[in-house]
Amino acid sequence: MAVKNRSLLFEVPNLDTPKQNPKILRVLVTNEFTRIDFGYTTPWYYEKGGWIKISSKTYLQIEGITTKYCLKEAVGIPIAPKRTNFKSTKDWQFFSLYFESIPQKDCILNMIEAEKPTENDFNYYGIVLKMEEGIEILE
Amino acid sequence: MPINKNAFKRYKVIDMLLRNKMRRYPTLEEITEICKEKLDLENLSTETIKKDIEHMRESQPSGFDAPITYNKQKRGYEYLDPDFVLGGVSLNDSDVDAIKESIDLIRSIGGTRVGEKFSNAMEKILTTLLEEFPDGTKKHSFLQTMTPPKSRGFEYFDLFYNACTTETPISFVHYNYKKRSFSASTIHPFLIKEFENKWYIIGYSEQHKEVRTFGMDRVFEPIRLKKKFIKVQKAIIEQEANDYYGVFPIPNQKKQRIKIRLSDLATNYFEAYPIHESQKIQKEPDGYSIVTFQLVPTIELTRLFLSHGHHVEILEPFWLIEFTENLK
Repeated sequence: MAVKNRSLLFEVPNLDTPKQNPKILRVLVTNEFTRIDFGYTTPWYYEKGGWIKISSKTYLQIEGITTKYCLKEAVGIPIAPKRTNFKSTKDWQFFSLYFESIPQKDCILNMIEAEKPTENDFNYYGIVLKMEEGIEILE
Repeated sequence: MPINKNAFKRYKVIDMLLRNKMRRYPTLEEITEICKEKLDLENLSTETIKKDIEHMRESQPSGFDAPITYNKQKRGYEYLDPDFVLGGVSLNDSDVDAIKESIDLIRSIGGTRVGEKFSNAMEKILTTLLEEFPDGTKKHSFLQTMTPPKSRGFEYFDLFYNACTTETPISFVHYNYKKRSFSASTIHPFLIKEFENKWYIIGYSEQHKEVRTFGMDRVFEPIRLKKKFIKVQKAIIEQEANDYYGVFPIPNQKKQRIKIRLSDLATNYFEAYPIHESQKIQKEPDGYSIVTFQLVPTIELTRLFLSHGHHVEILEPFWLIEFTENLK
């Protein structure tokens, strides 16, 4: 189902993905950008909670299509090599990543930070977006 | 945009000239010259005065709704409505005194407890008043209230206020301090509440399928949604607004009678600062007292009782005694 000229918000249920932290919370699809909202809680196994950053080469990809939708802006998380160093294992951070606009069509979305990811990279697979489930937002 | 103090001085001169029945229809050049003279402004241009007039014409709250028009026949400016008052109010001496006293209070409350829109309006009133009553600028304030620094999430006050008034559902990200988890929520808000300098948004939560309270400090990126608003029964709204001490109700508890016994010391405080309209105190000969409330029990109420230590003893309901014991 294709929808045009609307901004649609998707509240993302828990994904069946090994990467649960940061947690994907919402996806906002507009004609100007695609925004993904994340929530991150620092884990116990890093002293002082560790750190976060995002690669400038991070992109979105729709399954079955080779086009890459590049990262345009990051809010609440620095672009590597800069990074946010946490101060405790009880810290937390909300952040948003803005990518190029994806077509408003039903799709399965992947977010790739690294082609050959380590456990520290933010790669997510299988974000199902059904346009009829998107909620139109007021601009 | 807050009004610049100098600009307001010029507005006052413009207003005075447009009101002058002895010399009606002043031109832009005449207004500029008189402003220069009266306000001691050497470099004032006609362009600035033109912009001032445009600003005065703008609708409130950014302007003054001043009915200024250019009379082509007379080649000058005039007020279309001769009864127009700049600032919208005419004050008698008693009003002036009351406002002068209020300036201190408004200043001490400041902009931290109200949204940006209200802060601008307040600034406008203060600018007006300071022009009228320069002694209001005295350095020493005789009033002090609790004015904490601006809290996280308070920037969304206006958005949530508008959502309540326009019945607009809101999607936001919420962080739960206790569970250390994020979630996306959609709320149909109907009430903003302040309690002990913390702000809360209350509404029907789609995820929880019931009315829920969210601390604004834990809310991120609220987005207004174009979807049908779910209305909550009026009785529930009134209960949220009137029958709580605090904001977080103890689950599955309705409004009920709560009975406590106070020491003579605690009695003084509860007499001086009643915590709810339903509070009734029955004093005993030894100074102790029995106090009853008709309230929905809340977490904050139990914390208040605990904060008084052995000076407060919960008598009824029995479950609340146990519940409070477990919080210790």
